[in-house]
Amino acid sequence: MIAFFKLALFGYIGLTVIYWLLSIYFRSLERERLEKTYDHEGGTGSREVFIAEGMKAYEGSLRRRLVWLVFIIPTAVVVALVWILNFS
Amino acid sequence: MRYLKWTVLGTLALLVFAFLHYTLPQTDIVRIVGTDTKRMDLGENSWFWASPDVGTAPGTSRDVYFINAIYPDGSTMEYRNEDTGWGWPPYFKMDSSSTNTEAKELTSTAAAPKWVAVRHYGWRNELFTIFPNAISLWPVESPDVRIIPWVNIVILSFLAFVLFMAWRMWAQFKERMIEPAVIEAQETFDDIDRRADRARAGVSGWFRRVFGRK
Repeated sequence: MIAFFKLALFGYIGLTVIYWLLSIYFRSLERERLEKTYDHEGGTGSREVFIAEGMKAYEGSLRRRLVWLVFIIPTAVVVALVWILNFS
Repeated sequence: MRYLKWTVLGTLALLVFAFLHYTLPQTDIVRIVGTDTKRMDLGENSWFWASPDVGTAPGTSRDVYFINAIYPDGSTMEYRNEDTGWGWPPYFKMDSSSTNTEAKELTSTAAAPKWVAVRHYGWRNELFTIFPNAISLWPVESPDVRIIPWVNIVILSFLAFVLFMAWRMWAQFKERMIEPAVIEAQETFDDIDRRADRARAGVSGWFRRVFGRK
Protein backbone atom coordinates (compact mmCIF):
# COMPACT_ATOMS: atom_id res chain seq x y z
CA MET A 1 0.00 0.00 0.00
CA ILE A 2 2.96 2.31 0.65
CA ALA A 3 3.90 2.06 -3.04
CA PHE A 4 0.36 3.17 -3.96
CA PHE A 5 0.51 6.22 -1.69
CA LYS A 6 3.97 7.07 -3.00
CA LEU A 7 2.66 6.96 -6.59
CA ALA A 8 -0.39 9.06 -5.65
CA LEU A 9 1.67 11.63 -3.74
CA PHE A 10 4.43 12.13 -6.31
CA GLY A 11 2.00 11.76 -9.21
CA TYR A 12 -0.24 14.56 -7.92
CA ILE A 13 2.78 16.74 -7.08
CA GLY A 14 3.94 16.34 -10.68
CA LEU A 15 0.44 17.03 -12.03
CA THR A 16 0.16 20.15 -9.85
CA VAL A 17 3.35 21.52 -11.43
CA ILE A 18 1.97 20.78 -14.92
CA TYR A 19 -1.40 22.36 -13.99
CA TRP A 20 0.36 25.48 -12.77
CA LEU A 21 2.54 25.76 -15.92
CA LEU A 22 -0.43 25.22 -18.24
CA SER A 23 -2.54 27.81 -16.35
CA ILE A 24 0.17 30.42 -16.84
CA TYR A 25 0.54 29.48 -20.51
CA PHE A 26 -3.18 29.65 -21.35
CA ARG A 27 -3.59 32.89 -19.35
CA SER A 28 -0.72 34.39 -21.36
CA LEU A 29 -2.32 33.26 -24.64
CA GLU A 30 -5.63 34.82 -23.59
CA ARG A 31 -4.00 38.14 -22.66
CA GLU A 32 -2.16 38.21 -26.00
CA ARG A 33 -5.42 37.48 -27.85
CA LEU A 34 -7.18 40.32 -25.97
CA GLU A 35 -4.35 42.76 -26.73
CA LYS A 36 -4.51 41.90 -30.43
CA THR A 37 -8.30 42.20 -30.50
CA TYR A 38 -8.12 45.66 -28.95
CA ASP A 39 -5.30 46.81 -31.23
CA HIS A 40 -6.84 45.58 -34.48
CA GLU A 41 -10.58 45.79 -33.96
CA GLY A 42 -10.75 48.32 -31.17
CA GLY A 43 -12.75 47.96 -27.99
CA THR A 44 -14.75 50.01 -25.58
CA GLY A 45 -12.84 52.06 -23.03
CA SER A 46 -9.12 52.12 -22.42
CA ARG A 47 -6.81 49.25 -23.35
CA GLU A 48 -6.03 48.36 -19.70
CA VAL A 49 -9.70 48.20 -18.72
CA PHE A 50 -10.59 46.18 -21.84
CA ILE A 51 -7.87 43.62 -21.07
CA ALA A 52 -8.64 43.50 -17.34
CA GLU A 53 -12.31 42.83 -18.05
CA GLY A 54 -11.48 40.21 -20.69
CA MET A 55 -9.16 38.42 -18.24
CA LYS A 56 -11.84 38.51 -15.55
CA ALA A 57 -14.31 36.89 -17.96
CA TYR A 58 -11.66 34.30 -18.90
CA GLU A 59 -11.02 33.34 -15.25
CA GLY A 60 -14.65 32.25 -14.91
CA SER A 61 -14.92 30.60 -18.31
CA LEU A 62 -15.23 26.94 -19.25
CA ARG A 63 -11.93 27.11 -21.17
CA ARG A 64 -10.12 28.11 -17.98
CA ARG A 65 -11.76 25.25 -16.05
CA LEU A 66 -10.75 22.69 -18.70
CA VAL A 67 -7.17 22.91 -17.35
CA TRP A 68 -8.47 20.76 -14.45
CA LEU A 69 -8.47 17.87 -16.94
CA VAL A 70 -4.73 17.69 -16.16
CA PHE A 71 -5.75 15.95 -12.91
CA ILE A 72 -8.80 14.08 -14.17
CA ILE A 73 -7.42 12.44 -17.34
CA PRO A 74 -4.31 10.78 -15.80
CA THR A 75 -6.39 9.51 -12.85
CA ALA A 76 -8.97 8.03 -15.23
CA VAL A 77 -6.21 6.50 -17.40
CA VAL A 78 -4.56 4.83 -14.40
CA VAL A 79 -7.88 3.44 -13.13
CA ALA A 80 -8.71 2.18 -16.65
CA LEU A 81 -5.25 0.60 -17.07
CA VAL A 82 -5.42 -1.21 -13.72
CA TRP A 83 -8.84 -2.54 -14.69
CA ILE A 84 -7.97 -3.57 -18.27
CA LEU A 85 -4.56 -5.08 -17.50
CA ASN A 86 -5.59 -7.09 -14.45
CA PHE A 87 -9.33 -7.69 -14.18
CA SER A 88 -10.72 -8.09 -17.68
CA MET B 1 34.50 21.98 -28.65
CA ARG B 2 32.42 20.72 -31.56
CA TYR B 3 33.41 17.12 -30.79
CA LEU B 4 32.55 17.59 -27.14
CA LYS B 5 29.12 18.97 -28.02
CA TRP B 6 28.30 16.08 -30.35
CA THR B 7 29.64 13.51 -27.87
CA VAL B 8 27.39 14.87 -25.11
CA LEU B 9 24.35 15.12 -27.40
CA GLY B 10 24.99 11.64 -28.83
CA THR B 11 25.30 10.13 -25.35
CA LEU B 12 22.06 11.81 -24.27
CA ALA B 13 20.22 10.58 -27.38
CA LEU B 14 21.56 7.06 -26.78
CA LEU B 15 20.39 7.14 -23.15
CA VAL B 16 16.91 8.31 -24.15
CA PHE B 17 16.71 5.62 -26.83
CA ALA B 18 17.92 2.92 -24.43
CA PHE B 19 15.43 4.05 -21.78
CA LEU B 20 12.51 3.94 -24.22
CA HIS B 21 13.69 0.65 -25.69
CA TYR B 22 13.80 -0.88 -22.24
CA THR B 23 10.52 0.57 -20.96
CA LEU B 24 8.14 0.43 -23.92
CA PRO B 25 6.34 -2.83 -24.64
CA GLN B 26 7.41 -5.19 -27.42
CA THR B 27 5.66 -8.29 -28.64
CA ASP B 28 7.38 -11.60 -29.40
CA ILE B 29 5.77 -14.63 -30.97
CA VAL B 30 7.04 -17.74 -29.28
CA ARG B 31 6.17 -21.25 -28.24
CA ILE B 32 6.04 -21.69 -24.47
CA VAL B 33 7.86 -24.80 -23.31
CA GLY B 34 7.32 -24.42 -19.58
CA THR B 35 7.19 -22.26 -16.51
CA ASP B 36 9.13 -22.36 -13.31
CA THR B 37 9.67 -20.47 -10.11
CA LYS B 38 13.14 -19.59 -8.93
CA ARG B 39 14.40 -17.95 -5.79
CA MET B 40 16.32 -14.83 -6.82
CA ASP B 41 18.70 -12.94 -4.54
CA LEU B 42 19.01 -9.65 -6.34
CA GLY B 43 22.33 -7.86 -6.18
CA GLU B 44 23.83 -5.35 -8.54
CA ASN B 45 21.24 -6.29 -11.16
CA SER B 46 18.33 -5.27 -8.90
CA TRP B 47 17.67 -2.21 -11.10
CA PHE B 48 16.44 -4.57 -13.78
CA TRP B 49 13.89 -6.31 -11.58
CA ALA B 50 10.45 -5.04 -10.69
CA SER B 51 8.85 -5.32 -7.29
CA PRO B 52 7.57 -8.12 -5.04
CA ASP B 53 3.89 -9.04 -5.49
CA VAL B 54 1.52 -6.25 -4.48
CA GLY B 55 0.80 -6.45 -0.77
CA THR B 56 3.77 -8.64 0.11
CA ALA B 57 6.76 -7.40 2.06
CA PRO B 58 9.55 -5.63 0.15
CA GLY B 59 12.96 -7.25 -0.10
CA THR B 60 15.74 -8.22 -2.48
CA SER B 61 15.26 -11.97 -2.10
CA ARG B 62 12.09 -13.49 -3.45
CA ASP B 63 10.57 -16.22 -5.61
CA VAL B 64 10.01 -15.15 -9.20
CA TYR B 65 7.88 -16.84 -11.86
CA PHE B 66 9.65 -17.53 -15.14
CA ILE B 67 8.36 -18.47 -18.59
CA ASN B 68 10.64 -20.49 -20.85
CA ALA B 69 10.01 -20.08 -24.54
CA ILE B 70 11.37 -20.90 -28.00
CA TYR B 71 11.31 -18.54 -30.96
CA PRO B 72 10.07 -19.85 -34.33
CA ASP B 73 13.73 -20.01 -35.48
CA GLY B 74 14.60 -22.31 -32.56
CA SER B 75 16.52 -19.87 -30.35
CA THR B 76 15.59 -19.67 -26.69
CA MET B 77 14.04 -16.94 -24.61
CA GLU B 78 13.27 -16.62 -20.92
CA TYR B 79 10.83 -14.14 -19.45
CA ARG B 80 10.38 -13.23 -15.84
CA ASN B 81 6.80 -12.77 -14.74
CA GLU B 82 6.79 -10.20 -11.97
CA ASP B 83 4.28 -7.69 -10.65
CA THR B 84 5.21 -4.10 -11.31
CA GLY B 85 2.45 -2.99 -8.93
CA TRP B 86 2.28 0.74 -8.39
CA GLY B 87 5.96 1.23 -9.22
CA TRP B 88 8.05 1.84 -12.29
CA PRO B 89 7.52 1.07 -15.18
CA PRO B 90 3.80 1.97 -15.00
CA TYR B 91 2.26 -1.23 -16.33
CA PHE B 92 0.23 -1.63 -13.11
CA LYS B 93 0.67 -5.38 -13.39
CA MET B 94 -0.65 -7.16 -10.32
CA ASP B 95 -1.72 -10.43 -11.87
CA SER B 96 1.58 -12.29 -12.24
CA SER B 97 -0.07 -15.39 -10.77
CA SER B 98 -2.78 -15.33 -13.48
CA THR B 99 -0.15 -14.79 -16.15
CA ASN B 100 1.65 -17.84 -14.76
CA THR B 101 -1.56 -19.88 -15.09
CA GLU B 102 -2.10 -18.68 -18.67
CA ALA B 103 1.49 -19.58 -19.56
CA LYS B 104 0.94 -23.10 -18.16
CA GLU B 105 -2.28 -23.39 -20.19
CA LEU B 106 -0.52 -22.32 -23.41
CA THR B 107 2.45 -24.66 -23.01
CA SER B 108 3.01 -26.83 -26.08
CA THR B 109 5.48 -29.25 -27.65
CA ALA B 110 7.52 -28.99 -30.84
CA ALA B 111 5.30 -31.68 -32.40
CA ALA B 112 2.06 -29.74 -31.81
CA PRO B 113 3.11 -26.10 -31.40
CA LYS B 114 0.74 -23.45 -29.98
CA TRP B 115 2.05 -20.02 -30.95
CA VAL B 116 1.74 -17.34 -28.32
CA ALA B 117 2.24 -13.59 -28.53
CA VAL B 118 4.07 -12.34 -25.45
CA ARG B 119 3.91 -8.63 -24.72
CA HIS B 120 6.87 -7.71 -22.56
CA TYR B 121 9.24 -4.93 -21.66
CA GLY B 122 12.93 -5.16 -20.76
CA TRP B 123 15.99 -6.91 -22.04
CA ARG B 124 17.45 -10.38 -21.81
CA ASN B 125 21.09 -10.17 -20.81
CA GLU B 126 23.08 -13.24 -19.80
CA LEU B 127 25.99 -11.17 -18.52
CA PHE B 128 23.94 -9.58 -15.71
CA THR B 129 21.19 -12.22 -15.44
CA ILE B 130 18.37 -9.90 -16.41
CA PHE B 131 15.14 -10.93 -18.11
CA PRO B 132 12.32 -9.14 -19.90
CA ASN B 133 9.10 -8.99 -17.86
CA ALA B 134 6.10 -10.59 -19.58
CA ILE B 135 3.01 -8.37 -19.31
CA SER B 136 0.39 -10.39 -21.15
CA LEU B 137 0.01 -13.50 -23.31
CA TRP B 138 -2.47 -14.43 -25.97
CA PRO B 139 -2.62 -17.27 -28.51
CA VAL B 140 -2.05 -16.48 -32.20
CA GLU B 141 -2.66 -18.51 -35.36
CA SER B 142 0.87 -18.74 -36.72
CA PRO B 143 4.33 -17.30 -36.09
CA ASP B 144 3.86 -14.93 -39.06
CA VAL B 145 0.95 -12.79 -37.78
CA ARG B 146 1.61 -9.08 -37.91
CA ILE B 147 1.11 -7.21 -34.66
CA ILE B 148 0.67 -3.45 -34.91
CA PRO B 149 2.29 -1.78 -31.87
CA TRP B 150 -0.64 0.52 -30.98
CA VAL B 151 0.57 1.10 -27.46
CA ASN B 152 3.93 2.38 -28.69
CA ILE B 153 2.28 4.52 -31.36
CA VAL B 154 0.05 6.16 -28.74
CA ILE B 155 2.82 6.66 -26.16
CA LEU B 156 5.38 8.03 -28.64
CA SER B 157 2.78 10.37 -30.19
CA PHE B 158 1.91 11.58 -26.71
CA LEU B 159 5.60 12.18 -25.90
CA ALA B 160 5.99 14.13 -29.16
CA PHE B 161 2.91 16.19 -28.20
CA VAL B 162 4.38 16.91 -24.74
CA LEU B 163 7.66 18.06 -26.32
CA PHE B 164 5.76 20.26 -28.77
CA MET B 165 3.71 21.83 -25.96
CA ALA B 166 6.86 22.41 -23.88
CA TRP B 167 8.44 24.16 -26.84
CA ARG B 168 5.33 26.29 -27.43
CA MET B 169 5.15 27.23 -23.75
CA TRP B 170 8.82 28.18 -23.70
CA ALA B 171 8.40 30.28 -26.88
CA GLN B 172 5.41 32.07 -25.35
CA PHE B 173 7.27 32.70 -22.09
CA LYS B 174 10.27 34.08 -24.01
CA GLU B 175 8.14 36.31 -26.21
CA ARG B 176 5.95 37.71 -23.42
CA MET B 177 8.25 37.78 -20.38
CA ILE B 178 11.95 37.65 -21.27
CA GLU B 179 12.12 39.80 -24.40
CA PRO B 180 10.09 42.74 -22.98
CA ALA B 181 12.28 42.67 -19.85
CA VAL B 182 15.45 42.70 -21.98
CA ILE B 183 14.14 45.59 -24.10
CA GLU B 184 13.20 47.52 -20.98
CA ALA B 185 16.66 46.95 -19.50
CA GLN B 186 18.25 48.08 -22.74
CA GLU B 187 16.16 51.25 -22.78
CA THR B 188 17.20 51.98 -19.22
CA PHE B 189 20.85 51.49 -20.15
CA ASP B 190 20.45 53.70 -23.23
CA ASP B 191 18.89 56.33 -21.06
CA ILE B 192 21.79 56.26 -18.60
CA ASP B 193 24.19 56.36 -21.54
CA ARG B 194 22.48 59.35 -23.09
CA ARG B 195 22.43 61.19 -19.79
CA ALA B 196 26.15 60.48 -19.33
CA ASP B 197 26.84 61.73 -22.87
CA ARG B 198 24.89 64.86 -22.18
CA ALA B 199 26.72 65.42 -18.91
CA ARG B 200 30.07 64.91 -20.63
CA ALA B 201 29.07 67.30 -23.41
CA GLY B 202 27.99 69.80 -20.79
CA VAL B 203 31.29 69.52 -18.91
CA SER B 204 33.44 69.87 -22.04
CA GLY B 205 31.29 72.80 -23.14
CA TRP B 206 31.96 74.44 -19.80
CA PHE B 207 35.71 73.79 -20.20
CA ARG B 208 35.62 75.14 -23.70
CA ARG B 209 33.81 78.20 -22.54
CA VAL B 210 36.27 78.82 -19.71
CA PHE B 211 39.58 77.86 -21.34
CA GLY B 212 38.61 77.80 -25.00
CA ARG B 213 40.38 79.76 -27.68
CA LYS B 214 38.90 83.09 -28.16
